[in-house]
This record gives sequence, C-alpha cells and structure tokens, in this order.
Amino acid sequence: MNTRRTLAISRRIAEMFRRDHRSLALMFLAPIVIMALLGWVLRDAGPTSTNVAIVNELGSIGTPVSEGLASALSGGGMNVKLDIADEAAARQALRDGTIDVAVVLATGGSTSASASLPNLDITIITPGLSPADDADRIGALRQALATSVGQLGPTISQETIYGNGNFFDAFTPALVGFVVFFLVFILTGISFLRERVGGTLERLLATPVRRLEIVVGYSVGFGFFALVQVALVMLFVLGTIHIGAIGPLPEVNFGLGVPSAGSPWLAFVITLLLAISAVNLGIFLSTFARTEFQILQFIPLVIVPQGVLSGIFWPVDALPGVLQPIAWLMPMTYGIDGLREVLVKGSGLDVWQVQLDLLVLAGIALLLAALASLTIRREVV
Amino acid sequence: MSTSPTVEDAISARGLTKRFGSIVAVNDLDLDLAPGRIYGLLGPNGSGKTTLIRCLIGLARPTAGESRVLGVRMPDRVNLGRVGYMTQSDGIYNELSVWENLRFFAALAGQLDRAVLDEILELVQLSDRRGTPVLELSGGMRRRLSLACALVHRPSVLFLDEPTVGVDPELRVEFWTYFRRLASEGRTLVVSSHVMDEAHRCDELLLIFHGKLLARGSPSEILHQTGTDDIEQAFLKLGGSGRGE
Repeated sequence: MNTRRTLAISRRIAEMFRRDHRSLALMFLAPIVIMALLGWVLRDAGPTSTNVAIVNELGSIGTPVSEGLASALSGGGMNVKLDIADEAAARQALRDGTIDVAVVLATGGSTSASASLPNLDITIITPGLSPADDADRIGALRQALATSVGQLGPTISQETIYGNGNFFDAFTPALVGFVVFFLVFILTGISFLRERVGGTLERLLATPVRRLEIVVGYSVGFGFFALVQVALVMLFVLGTIHIGAIGPLPEVNFGLGVPSAGSPWLAFVITLLLAISAVNLGIFLSTFARTEFQILQFIPLVIVPQGVLSGIFWPVDALPGVLQPIAWLMPMTYGIDGLREVLVKGSGLDVWQVQLDLLVLAGIALLLAALASLTIRREVV
Repeated sequence: MSTSPTVEDAISARGLTKRFGSIVAVNDLDLDLAPGRIYGLLGPNGSGKTTLIRCLIGLARPTAGESRVLGVRMPDRVNLGRVGYMTQSDGIYNELSVWENLRFFAALAGQLDRAVLDEILELVQLSDRRGTPVLELSGGMRRRLSLACALVHRPSVLFLDEPTVGVDPELRVEFWTYFRRLASEGRTLVVSSHVMDEAHRCDELLLIFHGKLLARGSPSEILHQTGTDDIEQAFLKLGGSGRGE
C-alpha cells in the first residue's frame, strides 16, 4: 500500500469537508443537538401535576387506608380527590381528563386472615395513552401504598448495582453509538456515491491507485472527522461546563454530565471502530445505489433494524429467538454492548466482554473494508 | 493494417470484444496505433467509443480479446501511471479548488513536482484561478481543468473522451493547439468525438459504428476512398448513420 496516495485521498476528504458547512454541521452539531434534546426530555419530562382519585368502595372499613393514602399522596405533591364514589365514575373521569389516575379500593374475593381489614383489592387505573407518564405515576402510587398500607405486606424498595437507575444515564452510551454510526454511514454513503456518479471514481481507477488505498484513505479521512465527532459528543455527554449568569443571561450548564463508570478513552476507541465500520458499510452499499435518494432508502434496511435489534432499547438476550442471530451479525450490537460495559458497568480492558466486543468490531470493520474494496471496481453498464 | 503487436505500438488491440447482454459494444476489434500521433475516434452517440476506450485502458473487462498500452497488457495498475484519461463527464471535485483538484490527481499519479503542475495550469490558462472552487468555474474552465488533471503526470498515452463537448469554438481551437503540442512531444492521443468537423485536425481517423471499425485512414484518405467531401457523408456512405440512435 502506498502511503502517499492513501493520504492524498484522506486529505481530499478533509478539504471537501472544510468547504461543506452543512456536512460539518451534520457531523458535529447534529449529534449534540440530538443528545441535548433527549437528555432534556428524558431527564426532566414527567407528569408536571397529577390529579389522583381515591375511590373507596369499602365504606367505613376502607377509610383508614384511603386517608393514609391521601395524606401520603398529597405529601408527594399530587392533588387528591376523594369525592368519586365508584369505579365507573372514576373511569368516566379518566375519559373526561379531569383525573390522571384512579386508585380503587374494593373487597377481594375471599375474606382476609386479618381481622381488622377485609381482603383488600387495590386497582390502579390510568388512561394508557402515555406509558411513560403512567409508569411514573404508578411508581409514585406504589411508594405511597407501601407506606400507607404497610401493615398489609412487606415494604418493597428498589436499588441498582450499576448507575442510579436513571433511564437516561443507562440509555446514553447506546445512543452515542447509534448516532455516530448513523451519521457517518449517511455521509460516506453519499460522498462515495457522488464519486461513482460524478465520474471521479472512473478517473481514480485510471490511475495507479489500489482499491485498498481508496478504502483506507476514506476510512482515515472520515475516521478523522468521526474522531472529532466522537470526542465532542463524549465531552458533551460526560462533562458539564458551568457558565455563571452574565448580565441578563441566566446561568447555564453545558453538557449532560452523565456519570461514567469506566474509561472514556476505551469508550472512545469502541465508538471509533463503530464509525470505521460505518464508513466501509457506506462505501459498500453505495455500489447498489444510483442516486443519493437511494442511499437514504438504505436507512430502513440497514439502520432501523440495528436500532431495534442491537440492544439500545431491549437487551439482545430478550429478543425473540429467531432475531437473536441477526442481532449478533450487526456491528452496532457489539458497539453498544461495549459502550454499556465501559460507561455503565465500569469494565476495563481486562474484562472479556470488552475484549470480545473490541475484537468483533475490529473484525467487522476489516470485513466491511474488504467488501468495500472488492465492489469498487464493479463495472457500470 | 493488422500487424503483430510490437513495443513500438503505443496502443494495440487483438480481437477486442465487449458485450453487455445481447448488445455488442465493441465487436472483435484489431488496432495498432503508433506513438506521436493524434487518432480521432469518430462515431455517433452509442457507437461504442467510450466502451472501447475503457476496454483499451482496462477499466472494463473485455468479453474477449486483449489490449496493450505501450506493450503492456492491460489492465495493469502500474502501467496506468503512463496513461492519461479525460472522462466524458468532467470527473473533478466540485467542492475542491482548482489547485486542490490538480494536486490530488498529481499525488495519485505520482507527480510530486510542483513546477510541472504550475506549468500545466499555465497551459490551460487557469493560473489565476488556483484558489477558486470548481463550483464557481464556467463550463469551459471545468473542461480545461479536467484536461489539466489528465496531464499532471505527463502521460505517454492520452485518452480524451469527447474533450470538446460543451466547449465554445474559441476554446476548441485552443484545445486542438494543446493536443498538437502534446503529440509533437511524442505522446499518443486518442480523441473521441461525435463532432465530425473536428476530424480534419487528426492525423488518422478511426470510424466506429456498432462497435465495428468501419474505416481507418487520414482524413483525406477517407474522403478520397469514399468520394465524398465531408466526413459525415463518408460515414453515411460507409454504412454508418451520421446521427445518434
């Protein structure tokens, strides 16, 4: 391989980027905007106020429970309504939107062993339109029920081994991997397609350049930008810069400050390998496209399945059996597993899962590079 | 017309054939082209000129037969360092400046001498446009830059695919002046065109129709042979259509 020719290709990519402000923005601003929005929404969004109805169908026997619950819930900042008499009325109120959640206290099927209370049946009814809000409210209700009806059963509390159970903090590493892979894939796919359509590839192939030099040149060129991108995203996600109030401007915290349990450097290497896979996948798939629009048509084929199957939302082990082997073929699966290991669990290079993720990712990157260089000379009819 | 290939031939082909499915783009062609001459590859659109050039360079794999450039059987990666190819589309990077394009193709072709690049830029009269992005150039300037990029490594053999398409008459005359100068330095030029009035500027014409070599000879020989007074007429007489299909 000739270094001068390879670097000439990388340099050219850098020179083209320098003039292409939109692509620069897509590469560097877009991921930060995406992460910032998600961070904001996932952390701070939640039910702002909750109107809860406590429906006591037990009469005076249920009063101690409903009163205990009411005081616990009011203490938690909810507006408690006690004037709804039965379940049907509560359901209607939920439909009308006057309440957000109803707790119905009713008699259970059999009599309780306890003398003081009948066998209590507690039903929580939510509208079911926004599962995230519902989950938050049910969580709060369970907490209140545990304290107010404590005598009915043991207190249940939840703790986590890794992180603090914050959804966003556990979700972020996966998201970083996904956003980087997606953006790098789109950019390389389109820029290599232009090379094919614009006749410059034809011209490249009429010089003594090797196909591998083109592929490596592209990987280095886009890899460099991916490197800067990953560094920026990592800084933004893991760090916080506090800027005090200046004049009329309020104080702001820049950066999400997601706690990182492990080495950011290792996470950086994993993301970079993922980006190099994306570069070569882009080159490879550009063979099968004739227009930029056709590159975008690969998104539902190549990107969306990786988003669904690679463990961003659901762990790969929990997928239906048929889908698991497919997930294990995807570079994103290893990237996301590696990022979670490192950032959430705090694993280092000595942990075999991290070693495996790194090896497989490097392998996939090499395989895709080989495929990309094999398809470059495909004859255009 | 058909002798065995020797090192003296700049370009030679034996039984060169290229099929795309049922279409025969190059049909069993034999060629021997001598160095230091300008060959005009003439034929209507779709007659197989570009495919013939691609087969001669080795960019397209021939279905049958072989081609040699400077005695080396193509495709040969290293030998491409002695070949220049100006594609029909400009084949330059719109986002890059004139100089960046030139330097890029020079690096790939192994030309490291900046003075040569300056000289070529002077030749195509783009010295004052060095830093201009290609997007801001006129069509004629882009053609000139495209030609310059094919010349960076001072190739011995040049394939120019429709170099004067979209070029105004004044620039066309300039181009042919460059071509003549390059030939006088001992380089071999194969210039494809469907503009028949450029034919008289070539040393020798290769009339191509449906991938077949209809006739070969100097412009005057062809006119004499067919008893016509322009190449278009000669084409029709020889059985080729003067128009695109």
